[in-house]
Amino acid sequence: MTEFSNDTDFRKALDALDATQQRLVAARFVENVIALCSDERIARVIRSASDSKASEGELVDALKTARATTFDCHTRCGSEGDWAEQAGYFVARAATAALTPLGKMPSGPAWQAAMSCRMAQTSMSIVSGDDTAGQESKQQYRILSEFLDS
Amino acid sequence: MSATLERGIHAFKEVIDAPVASFFSSCVRCGLCAHACLFYTETEEPKYTPIYKLEPLRRVWREEYSFWGRLTKALGLSKPVTDDMLTEWETLVYDSCTMCGRCSMVCPVGNDIAYMVRKMREGMAASGHAPAGLIGATQRAVTIGSPMGVKLPALQAQIRHTEQDIGLPIPVDEVGAEYLLLLSSMEIMNFPEFIGAIAKIFNQAGVSWTISSEAFEATNSGIQIGVSDIAAELVERIVSAAEKLKVKSVISPECGHAYMAIRWEGPNLIGRPYSFKVVHILELLDDLREQGRLKTTGKETQRLTYHDPCQISRRGGVVKQPRNLLNMLAEDFVEMPESGTMNWCCGAGGGVSSNERADELRLKVFNRKKQQLDAIHPDAIISACSNCRIHLEDGLEEYGMDMPVLSLTETIAEHLAGSEQPGSKE
Amino acid sequence: MSETELLLWVRGPALQGATIIFLLGIAVRILEILMLGRKTDLAEARGSAVAGGLRTIISRSFAQRETLQRTAFTEVTGWIFHIGIFVTLLFFAPHILLFEEVLGLSWPALPTTVIDATTIVTIIALLAVLVHRIANRVTRFLSRFQDYLVWLVTILPMLTGYIAFHRVGLSPPMLIAIHILSVELLMVVFPFTKLMHAFTLFMSRYYNGAIAGYRGVNS
Repeated sequence: MTEFSNDTDFRKALDALDATQQRLVAARFVENVIALCSDERIARVIRSASDSKASEGELVDALKTARATTFDCHTRCGSEGDWAEQAGYFVARAATAALTPLGKMPSGPAWQAAMSCRMAQTSMSIVSGDDTAGQESKQQYRILSEFLDS
Repeated sequence: MSATLERGIHAFKEVIDAPVASFFSSCVRCGLCAHACLFYTETEEPKYTPIYKLEPLRRVWREEYSFWGRLTKALGLSKPVTDDMLTEWETLVYDSCTMCGRCSMVCPVGNDIAYMVRKMREGMAASGHAPAGLIGATQRAVTIGSPMGVKLPALQAQIRHTEQDIGLPIPVDEVGAEYLLLLSSMEIMNFPEFIGAIAKIFNQAGVSWTISSEAFEATNSGIQIGVSDIAAELVERIVSAAEKLKVKSVISPECGHAYMAIRWEGPNLIGRPYSFKVVHILELLDDLREQGRLKTTGKETQRLTYHDPCQISRRGGVVKQPRNLLNMLAEDFVEMPESGTMNWCCGAGGGVSSNERADELRLKVFNRKKQQLDAIHPDAIISACSNCRIHLEDGLEEYGMDMPVLSLTETIAEHLAGSEQPGSKE
Repeated sequence: MSETELLLWVRGPALQGATIIFLLGIAVRILEILMLGRKTDLAEARGSAVAGGLRTIISRSFAQRETLQRTAFTEVTGWIFHIGIFVTLLFFAPHILLFEEVLGLSWPALPTTVIDATTIVTIIALLAVLVHRIANRVTRFLSRFQDYLVWLVTILPMLTGYIAFHRVGLSPPMLIAIHILSVELLMVVFPFTKLMHAFTLFMSRYYNGAIAGYRGVNS
């Protein structure tokens, strides 16, 4: 079983995956934090993202929904921020990243999704006051290992 | 006259200076300003004509500072400004104007209408006619230090996790650093990866920098609502921190009005010049590029276009720097049909995005940006303002357009040469 | 009052009175503006305010390429009637004689056929401008009584001048008297209306260009 202990190797492995693989592993990252998002659209979106046989049309629709959810969940400029809700925003962003085609963003979809999922956890840690630094990344390393070995 | 109306009229009188008087004296009602304003072009509602948004201010100018106006007022023949009028004008001044300044570029007689809208907001706010969203944001900015309620522990958590992710330290409260980085609450809450991007770039380029725990907020709500006293207080906090940390320069991040506030209005609000310089992050990045300290690798191959944030470009003067940086980064960069200082506003700045009442209008006028994009068919948009970014995303989604909106700073960070992550701490 | 008496009055006391109101009014309006003052900009300059201001005084006469498509009618008719007014005012021989009397300066005149044609074109442009002001939703919305009054006092000298030159209808002295009266009307109305833009636009454009130039923007 390939094990990861640092982000350099983790990211290299993610970037080496093809478009579909990146989407699938990104969807798993999002599933790991999906409880942090109260918007039910994300569950539907991730179902499409995790489906290796999803059609082009399904993926495009899912991406649209993910984007809409991201906007709806964001804290608008000047309004009072709620970090628990922001966690939901980051989950939606991760879902958006998972579904964005390769090459559209400067960093790969899977890496971007992973980062957004970590930010979702950070948001929750701001609310709880706990220091959860590093926990989500460890879980992501495990998820990627399992994905590569399956 | 009610007490609040009196405060408003007094504020109007205070802000009228020679330029304002000259502008009102020169207006010939040609209507050209309407054709430069996306709130008019996309709705065709004449009330959104820029100069019309200033009607209450014009009346006060006429009655107080012009011979004929004073005469007609004395004879009881003038039409005074009333509370009802200000209520009616609230949506014109706050919902349908971002102070983007495009009108100021086309007026044949040279009126700087955006300059006057900024001043008019002083009277609107003083008379209690500002939108609820902005009032809340300003209160939070004063009491908490951030219009979105971001407190230091939250920023510290973001910083800790960023350090963890990128394997680089993020300096806080370092005395003697060359640069003090400000952050907008929008970035801290919605785009915290900006912090990591900066850290990576500065690490490669050997920039000495720090964040201040006492003054990290770049956004100036006072400017948006139009209360100069509050705007001044927010600037003073940054000035104190900059002086305490003995920095040479303060960096304004990817936020439009923050740059206007700290770079151009700041010293005038506090009544004295700064003892430090102020640069926009794009200015610094371009300087680093010119000095050969910014090394990037690979290029973006997708078709990119640049959205000029109005306060940075047209009103701020940072126009060629993003283009220099994009030429370094992009294989296929295409300008919008009207670009640079004549680019069109995203429709959400200057407090419009903080104002729920303006949502429908804001989305409607995004059609102007859509038309610009339809003419060039980019794959993605790059910009340098968090507020523009989120609202470009919203507008694109509303109009069924499929393209990501990227941050210029973050894109540079992704292309840094030798940017393999150093081993992150466990 | 006989025609001669009327003409003498129009060319004498009425003209003097109108000139005083005109010059005094303009001076007062400009002083009113300048007296309000402008705070010094304490921010660090990126460019030159003065250079920007002077530049915009000239450049603002020419429409931005970007807006021209949307506003071509206003731009073109505006240019035509402004040039037309200056050409007829400054290059018509009888007017030059008047300037010589008052200022001691004179310069070559344009042929009367050219002036004639210019007058017709200007009148047509002014009529088109009025139709546009009423028909266009923005200008119709913005326009007040003053805008229509100013239009009237601007076209009257052109019309009465043309009629006087072609000696149509009334006797020449009467026609001249009416023409001069129409000019006096314009002069008297001038300082109280947007006609002041003829002077204040230099200030407005300067301020605009200076504010932008200080920040390194060409406006």
